[in-house]
Amino acid sequence: MKMQPRSRNVFFTDMWALALLAPMILVPILTTNQYYYSLANQALIGLVAALSVYIMLRMDLLSFAVPAFMAIGGYAAAIAAKGGNTNLLLLMALSFAAPALVALPLGALVLRLKGVYFVLVTFVFNEILQLALFETPKLSGGSNGISGVPSVTLLGMDLGTNQGVVYVTLLVAFVATLITLAVTHRYRPEFASIEENETLAESLGLATWRYRTFGFVVAAGVAGLAGFALVNMLMTAHPSSFSSFSGINYIAYAIVGGRGTMLGPVVGTGLLVWSSNLFSSKGEYSAGLFGLLIIVVVTAAPSGLVGTIHQFFKAIRRRLSVSADLPTNSDAATSQPIKGGGP
Amino acid sequence: MMRWPKEQVPSDAAVTLRVEGLSKRFGGLQVFDDIALELEPGGILGVIGPNGAGKTTLINVICGMLSPSAGRILVGSQEITGKPLHVVSGMGVVRSFQQTNTFRSACVGENLARAARFSVGDAEADLGLDTLLEEFGLRQHLEDPSGDLPYGLQKMLGLLMALATQPRFLLLDEPAAGLEVRERVHIDRFVQHARSVLGCGVLIVEHDMELIRRLCPRILVLEAGRVLASGAPAEVLARREVIDAYMGESEEEKC
Repeated sequence: MKMQPRSRNVFFTDMWALALLAPMILVPILTTNQYYYSLANQALIGLVAALSVYIMLRMDLLSFAVPAFMAIGGYAAAIAAKGGNTNLLLLMALSFAAPALVALPLGALVLRLKGVYFVLVTFVFNEILQLALFETPKLSGGSNGISGVPSVTLLGMDLGTNQGVVYVTLLVAFVATLITLAVTHRYRPEFASIEENETLAESLGLATWRYRTFGFVVAAGVAGLAGFALVNMLMTAHPSSFSSFSGINYIAYAIVGGRGTMLGPVVGTGLLVWSSNLFSSKGEYSAGLFGLLIIVVVTAAPSGLVGTIHQFFKAIRRRLSVSADLPTNSDAATSQPIKGGGP
Repeated sequence: MMRWPKEQVPSDAAVTLRVEGLSKRFGGLQVFDDIALELEPGGILGVIGPNGAGKTTLINVICGMLSPSAGRILVGSQEITGKPLHVVSGMGVVRSFQQTNTFRSACVGENLARAARFSVGDAEADLGLDTLLEEFGLRQHLEDPSGDLPYGLQKMLGLLMALATQPRFLLLDEPAAGLEVRERVHIDRFVQHARSVLGCGVLIVEHDMELIRRLCPRILVLEAGRVLASGAPAEVLARREVIDAYMGESEEEKC
């Protein structure tokens, strides 16, 4: 018997994540309104950061280190651009590679930790990096950051215009989504097994640490891409762009949307970025309203919005299929039909 | 990527699993001391003993979940002492668990596919799993999440997953515990199958004396971490000290 791990259904749901990104191309075409540009940039950067959280959540690890890796990617790109290398593809590659290289030795240290200990260490890593940025003014500009980062270019085109920035952010989001899709699908059985029952996976021969390290490195690279897009949008690399608090937002995007499929971070980011902009018109209540929304969603839909909707449809479909089975099955209490087809 | 070269055991059919002078201590608590045993390909060794005798810890140490305090474990001439769980598994020494242990949210078919995928075994090999799935009543549940299955089926699935890795040696930790009497013959069938298809050596820790008598030509009795007796079950189980230690001294518990 030949058996393949089946992940087709999840794959389709994940493709929806990619499909939802596509219409964003229209934003710079349909409007010149700065507000929508800013919203699009904010949502797409948030999404890339949330995807970094999502990759780690696939292995049941909650990482607060996303802003730190974003900072490493963003600063690497800013320093390179200041040095005259403004090619978009080069900067993207650099902003992925730099945090990934940092994550490799770091992973060897912190991936031994589980649960709350891992969370704490990633949180501390953020703080250390913030400190490092302030203490290395020669390299990172210290508390001034690096301002006046030149705009990126591609094939001689200057992408410093408002539209250009949205397109750069969109390209980064596409690439990050594709990377996440590729990694979480190629190694879905491994990640899912590590998430659910690591001891069993090891007893069957899986070298779990390799996959955990690999996931950590890719998640760091994806976060670096988000950092690059952020620096490109602001034309500045500054420590305050990468605060620990922003990391909490990215985690909220992934968890509110649902950690089960890639559609989760997309939906979560969309909803929370939109609502936080909506609430910001309420002035001093905005943070409270934002927090309230998160509490409501997490209590009412513990597996995230996408997960809960998914379960809802599954329950309906099961009920329908049971009632459809009843007449044909009345005589066979003992012999169960072999189930086939969809879930 | 990610297919690191695994350590391979020489494919010599006469490779045995040997345990020499094995001891395990947790701080001041000596779980077992100076255990020696040998398991040939296709052989079956029963390990029995009262609760707390160190049987499960013995399996935990051999499979690499715990490292021993002293002693050696060898597959053929290759030492596996202190190697991590996945490496020992990759060398063909695979355990099953006393409790049900599956990827609960994944369906039965997916569980078996993962076992095959994570192992170093030959992907094309026909292990006859179809037949066993049918006999154990798992066939109609291939699409069901394994966590929803009855206890007995989950346990049989755990055994089949161990088999799907194409082990050389199986370490079975109370495979019959929690099974209904009519389900226990499945264990006989499973062990027989593992031996005939893969030539597995099987170490079986069990409390079901009937099962031990049926399956094992040789048994080892552990008591308080020492080997109390070893030999053919009929002879060993008749010894006075074994009856006292294992069955307890009270009359009504003899069975």
